[in-house]
Amino acid sequence: MSDIRHALLRRDPLSAAKEVLYHLDISLGSALQSSAGPPAGLEKSTVELVEEFIFHVSKDRNIQSKRMSCVQELQLLEIICSYFQEQSKDAIRQVIFSALFSLQGNKADESRMAMLGKLVSMSIAVCRVPILECAAIWLQRTHSAWCVRLAQVLMEDYCTLVPCAISTLQNICSASPRFCCQLITAVTALYDFSTDELTPPPALLEMLVGWITEDPRLLLLTFINSPLNSSLPLGCLEITPLLGLLRWCVKAPLAYHRGRKSAMTNGHGDGEKGTAYEELYSKLHLSVLQVFLMLQVHLTEKNMFCRLTVLPVESVAALIEEVGRLCEKLAPLLDASHIQLALDRLAQALQVAMATGALLCAREDLRALCSRLPHNNLLQLVMSGPVVQPPPHSSPFQPNMYPHIHPGRPSPLSPHSPHQSTLSSPHSPHTVLTAHPTHPALAPHRPLTAHATHPALSPHAFHPASIAFPYRPIR
Amino acid sequence: MSAQGDCEFLVKRARELVPQDPYAAKAWLITARTLYPTDFNIQYEMYSIERNAERTSSAGRLLYDIFVNFPDQPVVWREISAITAALRNDSQDKHAQFLKGVFETLPGQVQCKMLLKATEQCFNTLEKAEMLLLLLKRFPESVVQHGVSLGESLLEAESVEDLETPVNCFRKLFVCDVLPLILNNPEMCLPVSLLYKYLHKAAEFYICYVTREPSADGQMQGSQEVGGLNSPGRGRGQRSVIDGLSDKASVVTEPWDRLLEMVGVVGSLCDWQGEKGSRSYAELLQRVSDLCRFLSAADADGFSRCCSQIVSCCTLVLFHCAFHYVSAVQPSLFQGHSSLSSGPWVLLEDLSSVYADVEVERKHTHKKRKLADGREKTMSSDDEDVLAKGRGRHIVVSKSEMLNWAETLDHFRTARESWDLLHSHPSLEAEFAKICSAWKTEMWLWFRIFLTDMIIYQGQYRKALSSLALMSSLQLQQNQNQNQNSLQTGSSSSLENHRAVIQQASCHYALGEYRLACEKLLEAVGGLLPQNQEFVKSSDEQRKPRSKTRRGNDLRLVPCTSKSILPFCLQLMLACFKLRAFTDNRDDLALGHVIVLLQFDWPQGESLFLKAVDKICQQGSFQYENFFNYVTNIDMLEEFAYLRTTEGGRVQLELLPNQGMLIKHHTVTRGITKGVKEDFRLAMERQVSRCGENLLMVLHRFCINEKIILIQSLP
Repeated sequence: MSDIRHALLRRDPLSAAKEVLYHLDISLGSALQSSAGPPAGLEKSTVELVEEFIFHVSKDRNIQSKRMSCVQELQLLEIICSYFQEQSKDAIRQVIFSALFSLQGNKADESRMAMLGKLVSMSIAVCRVPILECAAIWLQRTHSAWCVRLAQVLMEDYCTLVPCAISTLQNICSASPRFCCQLITAVTALYDFSTDELTPPPALLEMLVGWITEDPRLLLLTFINSPLNSSLPLGCLEITPLLGLLRWCVKAPLAYHRGRKSAMTNGHGDGEKGTAYEELYSKLHLSVLQVFLMLQVHLTEKNMFCRLTVLPVESVAALIEEVGRLCEKLAPLLDASHIQLALDRLAQALQVAMATGALLCAREDLRALCSRLPHNNLLQLVMSGPVVQPPPHSSPFQPNMYPHIHPGRPSPLSPHSPHQSTLSSPHSPHTVLTAHPTHPALAPHRPLTAHATHPALSPHAFHPASIAFPYRPIR
Repeated sequence: MSAQGDCEFLVKRARELVPQDPYAAKAWLITARTLYPTDFNIQYEMYSIERNAERTSSAGRLLYDIFVNFPDQPVVWREISAITAALRNDSQDKHAQFLKGVFETLPGQVQCKMLLKATEQCFNTLEKAEMLLLLLKRFPESVVQHGVSLGESLLEAESVEDLETPVNCFRKLFVCDVLPLILNNPEMCLPVSLLYKYLHKAAEFYICYVTREPSADGQMQGSQEVGGLNSPGRGRGQRSVIDGLSDKASVVTEPWDRLLEMVGVVGSLCDWQGEKGSRSYAELLQRVSDLCRFLSAADADGFSRCCSQIVSCCTLVLFHCAFHYVSAVQPSLFQGHSSLSSGPWVLLEDLSSVYADVEVERKHTHKKRKLADGREKTMSSDDEDVLAKGRGRHIVVSKSEMLNWAETLDHFRTARESWDLLHSHPSLEAEFAKICSAWKTEMWLWFRIFLTDMIIYQGQYRKALSSLALMSSLQLQQNQNQNQNSLQTGSSSSLENHRAVIQQASCHYALGEYRLACEKLLEAVGGLLPQNQEFVKSSDEQRKPRSKTRRGNDLRLVPCTSKSILPFCLQLMLACFKLRAFTDNRDDLALGHVIVLLQFDWPQGESLFLKAVDKICQQGSFQYENFFNYVTNIDMLEEFAYLRTTEGGRVQLELLPNQGMLIKHHTVTRGITKGVKEDFRLAMERQVSRCGENLLMVLHRFCINEKIILIQSLP
């Protein structure tokens, strides 16, 4: 190995970097082919070669590695780009990408991140799908702090520096949806509304809403493509952008005061623009709820319903706590309607997430979590759960384990008896879905029919069923 | 909080949000639905939002849910009935289109269920039928189960409603929509008798549809109210509308072609002999007449087997061809024929030989009269001799006036052949009679017109006269209906009345009943308006000498206009008086009438005129007081002036009114005869100055003023 190093030292930085890439390809490629699986870890020497000749950080303090000029750096990026473009084997591409950009916890990481930011940014600009796909996986495996940094670089490049560049990013969605899915997760982690700078730029928001309304499945892409039982590396981004987006939707109304203030100071962005963002958040929130419904279909199909948590309870708890703090803090500043809107959205998301199996949480626990929040009617309703007589004996967060209530109810006037057969049994909740595969998004409420209404509570439903059907075509 | 209270709260919040933030409204409802999945109002509200925004696919998805989960909700039914109404309608209304789109997004089995359920809820036969039809059209497999029962229910509804015409909404649906589905479904296996029944029902509908009177819908309106289905365009002025159906649904395109197609299908289902799907009605007739020839009458078994086939085909050919003949002869009878294109035509005896030598004619007519008399006595309508005479008669048509004359005569011939075939065997005749009585063909004016012409063609004039009487009673009925609806102007109907009267005159003439012939004729002439002479010269064809074998046997198809009819009337009168005038007995009055009538179409009648002059010379005197009123022909005036001279034979002419009395009175004194001579000379001079008068006006006046004398001068 040191032979290689000596040989490389004599070369100019660009050709040395090229040589390292070539060396990686040969050694990792052959290793991949010979052994049963990919090599567990890189040899230390290889890592050192990469760090020294690509990122120019040598462990040897005595040797001041030769820095590349900007032009050389650009050339190197081009070389890397075309390497990934030309390498046809997916597995090798991934191994090489991780050899280059997996963070090692050393001083080379900064260079790595800088290079990665430039590479991904460039790949977006020239649409290099293989690199974006590798970046998507990198975003899955890397600690969220680094992911946020990458997102930050990309946002600076595409949102802040050149405002109209966002359309380039916009078009990437069809080329590499996986990357976009991860990017959404990363940007939701980046923008947390804590400051003006960390409020999602309107252009970004608009782009995301556009992506999601075009195809809401985008949000579930990473989740669906990951092995179901695999546990994520510690500190990684969430498996879906759902919680992040939810956080945005809930916190956005609480940040209105700031938006208005900044709009006034900046002079641009009048009330109309404000309502446009409000509408975007409303649309986004609806999309999130709809994706929860889609998620339920997916979970049920994979027989993972209520066995797999999609929204970690801790993260949800953190959000609730944060909302509680914000409400407390902003109560004097904000219009009550904004707080109520935030709470409405929170309540809706909690309810739908619980009902669709995205959030595994008992209502009692929820009550405890939400105890500090200001009063909100819907939240109250969600915390107490639907009124059921007799009260359900099973835990309410396992909707498909609910027993059917109708048969046990001694009510001859039950308006629902005629269509009881249409209620699917808890064990085969997908009859509807197979009948109508084009609408998976809206089907998932079916398995939840266990939440039955009660004859005493819906008297209007009595008459049509018990009396002869009075319907006549309208003239 | 109660569950109902919860739901109401949730729906209320959503409803409030719809105008300002529809996304939020939907988010509320999604949440609400996860809380109360069995609450109808939540889901209905979701559907309403999508429907009001006309988002087809999401509305369809939600409708599917509420249809499956809440099949008994009246609101759902109202929605479904709105959708099925949109499906049945051909409305281009945007919302109707949207509702159709919603239906299309539903999975097939749900569509099927929805239509069936909607049908069950329907109490109106027509709506129910239309709903089932939607089902059958979409799901051919359901035809086996529901096809025949739907058809029968429509036929039953028709009889229960006691509709006066087969052109009604039930029959239309049955024939045009249900029947093709039944017949074209390979899974269906219907008994032959049912197939014939359906074919006859279809044929009756198509024939009555094609031949419906211009005011037919006026009669039907109000007879039955099937509300809600009609497009707003239905008004008083609208024609061709079948009550209960929209304008568009009332139109049946190419009825004859459709009927022929159906005959093909039924034929193949019934395993008809020799039937390979005929392409035309003539071919259809050809096939069955071949079949008839093939089956000897003795083969009773084979005959009874093919009887239905022969009668069905023949009947259709008969009505098809008869319709086409009548629509050429009397187009105003039918809807859709612009009465401007051509007026009625009338089948009459050909009188072009009237100017021919009287001797030949006389013998012939005598024979004819004898025949007619003989028939009268025996009262036999199927006189072999007459039938034999009827065969191969020639019909003269003005080719320039009737452009489709060849087809018209062809249809007339084919219709007669079908009729003959239907009456060639008692079992065929009985079967045909059954169809006729079921269809009430005796009430079809148009068919009566054909039958009359056919009987005339067959030379059965006595029978033709009774047929004409039937026809006028039918016509009277129709006119009454039309007057009630005040859709028809008087003028064309009076021409149609003349048509029958002139035909009656022609028949009476053919029977030798000259007095009756003239009576009818003069009745008609009263309503005619004489034209300018120039236009009324008889056509070349009329003048063309006919070959002797055909003489007196020919018929003529004449347009029923004053221009064409007045010449015929004059010729017919001439024919009536000609025989009387030239008998050995002296009859100056008849001879005078003949001379007046011979002026028309001069010099066609020149030889007859000379014959008349010869007769006057032989008699040595001639008395006809109307001479100076009606004779303006300069040749004739010259001839008569000459007759008085010595060279002319000094014929005693009493041509002035009351001249005879004057002469008798004044023979004693000499000067008075001189005065008479002077009168004659003056009258002649005055008459010469009248030469330029419109001859037709003169002759028309002659007919009207001398009507009584004319009739009385015939036996």
